[in-house]
Amino acid sequence: MDLAIQVLILSGLILTGLLVFYLQDLLHSAIAFAAFSFLMSVEFYILQAPDVAIAEAGIGAGLTTAILIKAVRSTTRREFDR
Amino acid sequence: MSKIVSAAADFLYPFVMIFGFYIVLHGHLTPGGGFQGGAVIATGVALMFAAHRYRDIAPIFKKAIFNTCETVGLVLFIGLAFAGLFYGKSFMYNWLARIPGLFGEQVSYGVNPGSLDTGGIIPLLNIAVGLEVLGALSLVIYYLLTYVVQMGVNKHHGQ
Amino acid sequence: MRNLLITAILVVLSSTFVYVTTSGQLQFGKPAQTRMDDYFLRHGQEQTGANNIVTAVVFDFRGFDTLGEATVLFVVVLGVGMLFRKLMAEEEEEEQAA
Repeated sequence: MDLAIQVLILSGLILTGLLVFYLQDLLHSAIAFAAFSFLMSVEFYILQAPDVAIAEAGIGAGLTTAILIKAVRSTTRREFDR
Repeated sequence: MSKIVSAAADFLYPFVMIFGFYIVLHGHLTPGGGFQGGAVIATGVALMFAAHRYRDIAPIFKKAIFNTCETVGLVLFIGLAFAGLFYGKSFMYNWLARIPGLFGEQVSYGVNPGSLDTGGIIPLLNIAVGLEVLGALSLVIYYLLTYVVQMGVNKHHGQ
Repeated sequence: MRNLLITAILVVLSSTFVYVTTSGQLQFGKPAQTRMDDYFLRHGQEQTGANNIVTAVVFDFRGFDTLGEATVLFVVVLGVGMLFRKLMAEEEEEEQAA
């Protein structure tokens, strides 16, 4: 049971990390980064580090998302094609 | 933002703030501490900044408040650390622990229910770091959310 | 050519990671050196009076690190403020004029 949850969360981490890299719309990318931070916080909690989990949930999912969305809104939304 | 978002933010804001101050004040008993609690409080400030228009929110959250919080936190931290030099043995010595008085209750090894009146200078350092982190992160959010908008407006007017 | 180089670097790094994690030298959740951990866990509660041992280490045993962290945060805010110093100066001039 414990191993199943670990595998689920770790594969979700890899999936959201790849999404952050591959999504062309930067707003979607910022939301994927928030999901990555949330899964990271759950993983820290399962590994019995609640202090780090609170810090990750507060900074990663809260503050960084606000700053990134603000940056996307005041610059360009689409990533440039190579 | 729409009216629904701002109403929901007004409803959630006190709970976020109370949770943050709880984490700061109970840092020596439960998981968390000054840094985590300050980050949670700054998240509440960012929520208010994101949900309301700038001219509605600017009279309430002033830059001077965050500046004062940050400076007072850092000065309090360094002052408490230097007080260890005068009242105890060394820099950052825990000079309040195990002495009856402020935060000086004895704690023995093992599981216990926990009391707020323990920890020596650790709760005071938690409050100092909490003030500093709350001021610093809120100030970064404030700078980015106010001045970046002005830069965008200036750019459009220039063109 | 460049893609081949990147693939080779990735293969080397990931195979090293898999070898180190599965060869049994580093066991998950069992640190190699435990003397200092045991000292903190046994004496931290009596010496500092804090039930949360993480806070006891961060603010008491390793308090100097926390002072450095607080200084780093202060310098970060100084840097962000310097980024917008021109706009801040304009705003202050407007306030003085008004």
